[in-house]
Amino acid sequence: MNYPVWQLDWAGGGLLIAVIAVIHVYVAHFAVGGGLFLVLLERKALAAKSTALMEYARKNARFFLLLTMVLGGMTGVGIWFTIALLNPAATSVLIHTFVFGWAVEWVFFLGEIVALFLYYYTFGRLSPGRHLILGWIYFICAWMSLFVINGIIDFMLTPGDWLVDRSFWSGFFNPTFWPALFFRTFLAFMIAGLFGFVTAVFIKEEQARHTMVRFSGKWLLAPFVLLMLSAWWYKAALPGELQELIFADMPELTFFIQTFFVLSPVLVVGGLVMAVWRPDKVRFALAALLLLIGFVYMGCFEFIREGGRRPYIIRDYMYSTSILKEDQEAVRQQGVLAAGRWVKNRTVDQDNRMAAGREIYNLLCLSCHSIGGPLNDILPIAERFSPSGMNAVLASMGKANSYMPPFAGNAAEREILADYLTLGLVHRLPAVKPLVALEDVAPFAHEPESRYLLSAWALDGMSFTSNPEESGIDFSPALPIIRAQLIGRAEAPELLRDGVTVTYRLRLADREVTGDMQPREGAFVAELAELANVEQPYHLVTVAAHLHGEQVARTRLMVAQSAEVDCNHCHGAAKAAEQQGLSRATAANILERHDRRSNTELVARFDQGDTIVCAECHADSSRNMAGRDEVLNLSASLHGFHAAYMADQGAAACAFCHPTAAQGASQSLRGIHHSLGLDCLNCHGSISDHGAALLKAEQAAGKARASELLAMIDNTTLPVESIVARQPWLNMPDCLACHEDFQPPETDSAFNRWTTEKEEIFHNRLADEGSLYCGACHNEAHVLYPAVNPYGAHLDIQQPMQYQGDSLPLGANRQCKTCHTIDMEYEMHHANSLADLRNDPGE
Amino acid sequence: MDLQTLIPSPDVLPVHWAWFQGLLSVTFVLHLVLMNLMLGGVLIAFVNQLRGTTSATDRFVVGKLPFVIAFTVNFGVAPLLFLQVLYGQFIYTSSVLMAWPWLSVFVVLIVAYYGVYIHASKWEALGSARGFVGGTVACCLLLIAFVFVNNMTLMLEPHSWLRYFEKPGGLLLNLAEPTLWPRYLHFVLASTAVAGLALALYGDHQVRRGQTEKMHMRRQGLHWFMGSTLAQIGVGLWFFKTLPPHVRSFSGSLEAWLFTLFLSAAIIGTLLSLVFALGRRVRATALTTLLTIIFMVAVRDLVRIQYLSPFFSPAELPVAPQYSPLLVFLLFFAGGIALIWYMIRLVVTGLEVKS
Repeated sequence: MNYPVWQLDWAGGGLLIAVIAVIHVYVAHFAVGGGLFLVLLERKALAAKSTALMEYARKNARFFLLLTMVLGGMTGVGIWFTIALLNPAATSVLIHTFVFGWAVEWVFFLGEIVALFLYYYTFGRLSPGRHLILGWIYFICAWMSLFVINGIIDFMLTPGDWLVDRSFWSGFFNPTFWPALFFRTFLAFMIAGLFGFVTAVFIKEEQARHTMVRFSGKWLLAPFVLLMLSAWWYKAALPGELQELIFADMPELTFFIQTFFVLSPVLVVGGLVMAVWRPDKVRFALAALLLLIGFVYMGCFEFIREGGRRPYIIRDYMYSTSILKEDQEAVRQQGVLAAGRWVKNRTVDQDNRMAAGREIYNLLCLSCHSIGGPLNDILPIAERFSPSGMNAVLASMGKANSYMPPFAGNAAEREILADYLTLGLVHRLPAVKPLVALEDVAPFAHEPESRYLLSAWALDGMSFTSNPEESGIDFSPALPIIRAQLIGRAEAPELLRDGVTVTYRLRLADREVTGDMQPREGAFVAELAELANVEQPYHLVTVAAHLHGEQVARTRLMVAQSAEVDCNHCHGAAKAAEQQGLSRATAANILERHDRRSNTELVARFDQGDTIVCAECHADSSRNMAGRDEVLNLSASLHGFHAAYMADQGAAACAFCHPTAAQGASQSLRGIHHSLGLDCLNCHGSISDHGAALLKAEQAAGKARASELLAMIDNTTLPVESIVARQPWLNMPDCLACHEDFQPPETDSAFNRWTTEKEEIFHNRLADEGSLYCGACHNEAHVLYPAVNPYGAHLDIQQPMQYQGDSLPLGANRQCKTCHTIDMEYEMHHANSLADLRNDPGE
Repeated sequence: MDLQTLIPSPDVLPVHWAWFQGLLSVTFVLHLVLMNLMLGGVLIAFVNQLRGTTSATDRFVVGKLPFVIAFTVNFGVAPLLFLQVLYGQFIYTSSVLMAWPWLSVFVVLIVAYYGVYIHASKWEALGSARGFVGGTVACCLLLIAFVFVNNMTLMLEPHSWLRYFEKPGGLLLNLAEPTLWPRYLHFVLASTAVAGLALALYGDHQVRRGQTEKMHMRRQGLHWFMGSTLAQIGVGLWFFKTLPPHVRSFSGSLEAWLFTLFLSAAIIGTLLSLVFALGRRVRATALTTLLTIIFMVAVRDLVRIQYLSPFFSPAELPVAPQYSPLLVFLLFFAGGIALIWYMIRLVVTGLEVKS
């Protein structure tokens, strides 16, 4: 915010500092360990009175001088230049806070130069005692350089009390100072051993060569145990949340942690092979290989340490975006384009939208992400996302993606950046809507004299399917269920069951499906398993009732089953045509993220052709699957986790995964509530509300993960403490929360007032007379009559049209003769049922 | 655009700013002298190579360069540190604007550094390739000097920072800066002058010890000193003329008074040193030149303050006093000097004993 940003593309994401720093750190540690190596080597040569060893010591000193003083020293300067270019604000803090620390280090740097020059150029010209003193002085100066730099480097990881008192000494002798100092010291000795191998193999005299290879082996192996102990101490000295972040929460570091642990024994074995077996034929190759492994080893450690600071550059003080933690909220309110000093596009319109996006990228992303480069490349990440998906993931930063700083811009800037990343950088193609081959269908003819009325409805207005056969992942809730009731029309109508059979028939793309509906709980019920894997969202089902084998009534109902599960907004799609519904590519990414976050191995199973059924672990009561006890139920897990991404997106959040989008191909909201302008939030609350309610029930059940996810949830309508915990598919929005006693509502929010018993759920609820389901007259909750289907006026009102010639709930506006054959005066079904329908759309 | 809004907010100082100004000036004098010896030494040897007049003197000069370059870099670290403390918001900004050239400094420096070692240690073996190696080193160091001059002027000119908005890729230089070329030449000429003078001083010392064959070294060194310094007078005037008016002629403040005083002293020092050089009074020349350098460094610091005066004064920097780290530094600094003294004594007396 304070400084201009060096606009890097390929070389962004910290590539420059990574390259320079790893080289420098390796050579600089050698400069420390190698100093002691030189002194002890000279002593050994003196004790052995070996001219070959002494000659090796002299040559080694020259190699050491040329490597450490030139490459080591100059890359040290290079690091300083580089950090000042990549993060001037943080560099300025380090310089100002520790200026006299740096100055002391400079004094030791000077001492090193003088001592090393004198040591090398007086080789063989001074008495051994005096010469060794020079070597010792060099080593002490070099180690003191490490001492000083170590304090400053570890300050960035664990600033400790400095955060409170701003004292030089608190920052310098920070919580990890001592373990890191020992760790680095032992590492320096090991690196000296590795370099020792490389130079020793060139000794011509065999005995001296063997002696030195063995000597170098001791340098590699002896400090190793101490290194491991100090590594353990180092880890233990990290604050708890930092340990968790590094070793559990940051999958990006797993590779480096694992490599570090794998290479530890490799170095030991390699050292043993060199020192004990001494394979002459491949001695240089093996020595060089070990040196390279040491380089990777050191690099891994530095990556872990640097990664551990995320999302900060100075932990708990300054984010990697150079924004101070204490300023973050003010910047967010103001917006980065307004708060930044070095900003060109202070106002944004269509003409400069992409330029502004790039500018926000420079300010907030570039310090960690390259564009097309080898380090943290943003392109493959951005390719996965739609603009709205990217917007969601930006919103999740600092919460679900805790190793990233919270997005520092305002909502408009988040959208601009999301557009830049997905449309400006990777040119994501617009989604292709699936074709919905559907025409309006006239209802069956109105037969006012019929003795029977067959009502049929689906329990869910729009079920959705993850299309498991094609996608390979199954998180669909229960299959579509239809229910029917046959009424014998009379002055006092009768619900007919005895001698009644009900069948259904629907036409799929390639075949016709028929089946019997089973008598259950006062109705006839069928589960349409055939719709588990179809992508066509609407199916007109014909239902026929037979009495003693003779068909007495028939009707149609719309069953909707959408595959419009748009995980691809964030989980990618292989091609634009697949951006509707769940493709294998999308499923693979979901499972890969799951593996990374939860340490599972789902991708491996998926690759073998298994279909991953989420409910095997995550309980799904809609399918009667119990899952695993310690794992969150599916609904709590999905909503609770994704809430961090979409907290401020209102009903649009629901449309990412549910087929509710107004511009979507399949629209689950087609009933009167939708026509009146209500959306998902009126009944279910926002995704934060919804997630919190589900998680609270899981938290009460003692599941630790629920608390972790709850901690990431913000932007709830009510304080989380006030949100009533709920079980999925049991504690549902209660219609009577708004329609108290069936009266016109005085509120438009049913959120937080859940049904408590299964019988209270709308699709299970019976009317006051105890036999008719609500759905028999009103249709399903999301498609309440009078409903409007965008693909055809009659599609969702087949039965009202068939029985009443209108679109209203059966019997509405006192059309009691629909069933009763006479007008009624008693509100037997529910209170207020004889009132005028307030929302009659008319003709 | 209001330039003031571009200037980043500075961080807090731990001690009074004058401490840093003092440390900056003192360490910069040392760096400057070493840098002059390094660049001047390389240039003198290279020019002699081109002329075909290479002699043992050049061998001597080149042989000392590995040490000089090491100490030049070391003594460059300290003033750059203190510069960042006082003027970080300016130098960090200008560095980002010219990031690629600025970052290339350390890479080019590594090339030059190894080149110097090759030059020195393989002098005989290099033969005709000597000119190539010397030339490469000279080009590297001249390039580094050029990048430094660009950055040190760019940091003073927030007006030219606006170019960032068109080219944010870190590839800017400050070529439109009127003082750029005279300033650059000023430093290059100072380098050949000081390196020549150092040669003369060494030659003179040897002559005084009875090694009359070193007479030519004194003569050659003084020639380089006088030639460079005479040219410097012209370049100096040019440099002065290109300074912006508010920097060149300001009055009514302590800084103005000191500027006039130090600049006058530096000019007098320069002229005196020339007179002494003509009379082959090498030690007097060296002393007056050293004083001139000190005065010029003081002038330079005042010029910087004056350049930035529309935007900033170091006295405005916030201070949150913490003096104990300063004290520790001073102790280590004194200890370091004592240690170096001890090592030198150890070697000198040790070599005497051995011989």
